Amino acid sequence: MVDKTLPKTDVVIIGGGWTGLTTAYELAHEGRKCVILERGDHRHDATSFAGPEEHDELKYALRYTHMMNVKQNTLTFRNDRSQRALPMRRLGSFLPGEGLGGAGIHWNGQIWRPLPSDLEMRTHYENRYGADFIPDDLTVQDWGVTYDELEQHLDFFEKICGAAGRAGNLRGEAQKGGNPFEGPRQSDYPNPPMKQPVSATLMGQAAERLGLNPFPMPSANVTAAYENPYGAQLHPCTYCGFCERFGCGYFAKADPIICVYDRIKEHENFEIRFRSTVLRVEKSEDGKTATGVTYIDADGREVFQPADIVCMNAYALWNVHLMLVSGLGTPYDPETGKGTVGRNYSYQTIAAVDAFLEDQVVTNPFMGAGALGTIVDDFNGDNFDHSELGFVGGGYIACKQYHGRPISYQPVPEGTPKWGGEWKRAVRENYLHHADFVVHGSSMSTPENFLDLDPTWTDQFGRPLLRMTFNFPDNDRKMADFVMKKAVEIAENMDHVKSVSSVNLAAEGSNYSIVPYQTTHNVGGAVMGTDPNTSVVNRYGQMWDHHNVFVFGACLFPQNLGYNPTGPLMGLAYWTLDHLKNDYLANPRPLMDA
Amino acid sequence: MAKAFSRRAVLLGLSATATLGAAPVRHAFAALDDKPFYFLTPEEARSLALLCDTLIPKDEHPSASEAGVVDFIDIQMAGPYGKGEGLYLEPPFFEGSPEQGYQLPLVPADLIRTGLAAFQRAEPTFAQADAAGREAIMTRLSEGEMDFGDLPALAFFDELWKLTNQGYFADPIHGGNKGYAGWEMVGFPGAHAYYLSFVDKHNVRYPQPPMGINHEPGGDGNLPAPKEAEEP
Repeated sequence: MVDKTLPKTDVVIIGGGWTGLTTAYELAHEGRKCVILERGDHRHDATSFAGPEEHDELKYALRYTHMMNVKQNTLTFRNDRSQRALPMRRLGSFLPGEGLGGAGIHWNGQIWRPLPSDLEMRTHYENRYGADFIPDDLTVQDWGVTYDELEQHLDFFEKICGAAGRAGNLRGEAQKGGNPFEGPRQSDYPNPPMKQPVSATLMGQAAERLGLNPFPMPSANVTAAYENPYGAQLHPCTYCGFCERFGCGYFAKADPIICVYDRIKEHENFEIRFRSTVLRVEKSEDGKTATGVTYIDADGREVFQPADIVCMNAYALWNVHLMLVSGLGTPYDPETGKGTVGRNYSYQTIAAVDAFLEDQVVTNPFMGAGALGTIVDDFNGDNFDHSELGFVGGGYIACKQYHGRPISYQPVPEGTPKWGGEWKRAVRENYLHHADFVVHGSSMSTPENFLDLDPTWTDQFGRPLLRMTFNFPDNDRKMADFVMKKAVEIAENMDHVKSVSSVNLAAEGSNYSIVPYQTTHNVGGAVMGTDPNTSVVNRYGQMWDHHNVFVFGACLFPQNLGYNPTGPLMGLAYWTLDHLKNDYLANPRPLMDA
Repeated sequence: MAKAFSRRAVLLGLSATATLGAAPVRHAFAALDDKPFYFLTPEEARSLALLCDTLIPKDEHPSASEAGVVDFIDIQMAGPYGKGEGLYLEPPFFEGSPEQGYQLPLVPADLIRTGLAAFQRAEPTFAQADAAGREAIMTRLSEGEMDFGDLPALAFFDELWKLTNQGYFADPIHGGNKGYAGWEMVGFPGAHAYYLSFVDKHNVRYPQPPMGINHEPGGDGNLPAPKEAEEP
């Protein structure tokens, strides 16, 4: 029952994170009145994230004070369709955000571009390895947009963030010390790479000896005083070690509040309403368009906000949930393989390697930053020959030093007891002498990994919870095992290494668990493409079924990359906004024929 | 002078109003000693201290209870976390697979209270056992080989161990990590973190002693004086 209908706005934007604020910035400057509905509160780097109070591991990293509240919004989870899905009663495997800036305030700042071949994955593999190469149980598909089309938008987001790194491919020219596998970039990173700690330096030396191509991790932890194209001022990173799970009070980690919100908040066409939870997107009588959104406002009233354009900028999972509870698009049915909303949910495949070093190597792990480390990308995407390997995809190997927070950073060699005196001694002896590797692997889509609505549990507004059905595909188990062995080889070749241990979270015989943190890289479920039978939105991010609904974020990814999603999803956002501004606004219609 | 209440006395198994000598500087109970526990009963506090000190025993560095872990757990259980903040508790409840995570209808405070009582019933001689005996009992608890009736013993152990570890290493504003016991042990300098000019000084120990959010000065950090950077 709607308590109130508001005057119509040009654009209503669901969610005040990276993509939502950017959408408002770009469309407000096109003369369109934009209203953002953000379910969380206002907060700001200067007042909410300043040290030393922010540097409270218990409060922010372990009690999740900046994150989504599961009491208000959660999902149910099962590994496969034969199980009863049960509620995610606590956060664990992934940490969606809430409040101004969304999850964009507590990211690590690892800013990547997809490989050109990633975006044309099915076509690329079939061309290189033959039509039958991709395993039958994978619903891998092309994104419908190419690297060349995205390049200027990926580049612009790097400039918004003041990204720090070293180019590997500048307009087709190989650059020493960068990523030799990256697609051609029109311009170098706006800022020089980060300083490297000893752990990452030793890893890079070992990788080079093995003939690999190490380079500094591209970083949105800024390395010099910098003004972004919107006029935001960023400061050099202090390597404080409170990055992921924390906001940055130093104005050194690019986030949506300082990089975008501060530059648009006073604009006459901009409005943001906090504590405003969108319940559903409303459709016109013929169902061809959306008429606006119904939301619960800060006073608990149910309000209808009419709009010409609806932009869905919630976190990937909640965009899909909103579509399902609003009846947008056709829900995916794993029995028949028909329908698209909820189809091709995928995640990230993570393995970890620990290198324990001799006492003379003092790593000072607390001197860290979210995107600090050395990368080897030789085994990511299709950067290596897959013909004899029996899997597709890959991952980067990082020797990272992003924190030494002492509750969460307790590396001990294999075989150490889990508690007690021997454990205590091992924690003490290894804290300053350890190198932390991750294998950050791709995640392929399958017909059995999907999102739909739960039949049992509801949220605080009585809507069914989202239900996630997910387990690691065999393809990804093999991939992670392969790349992890390469990481172990690098670790074993490091100078001063005493021992190496490793764990593949997608190991054969194990199941994906929603308990231990892996990554907040939930992707897919509302994927983009060129065929309405296998995608929810067209290649411009526009819904096939409702042409004035535009969808943003990692829910668009048809399968997950071996890279972190923020760079790619912001490239897609600027690509969508380019077509919105330069085509759709003047002539609203479906931008592609179904 | 006699105190109305003493946490230290409780944990030493003395009467709660015993007269004690002046607490040494930075003693674990200096700040909270004369305040009653917020959540724990004296008996629960004594049981917890024994359990926590089996998980993190005393060596060259303080034991869990010496570092204030019992105070930490008391504050946590009395506060939002103990009361179920960040926990979705809508019924129905079903037993799930380990991959589906916590599915008990208990907030952490109930889990700890019920678990401590169940542990007391299952292992009434724990307090009398020697260190090796306690470790053997803890091993059985940690491996899920203890019968707590309706309560999964492993869920209690997991919560107990998580809290103990957190209490040993969290910022002292939360009541544990007294005297920066945990931070000094590993060499973590704390909340005042600014390493722009130090991160690429390889193999040099950071010379500053720990300091937490409250700006209480730490000790010497057990750290040697800084020396010139050298590649190993």
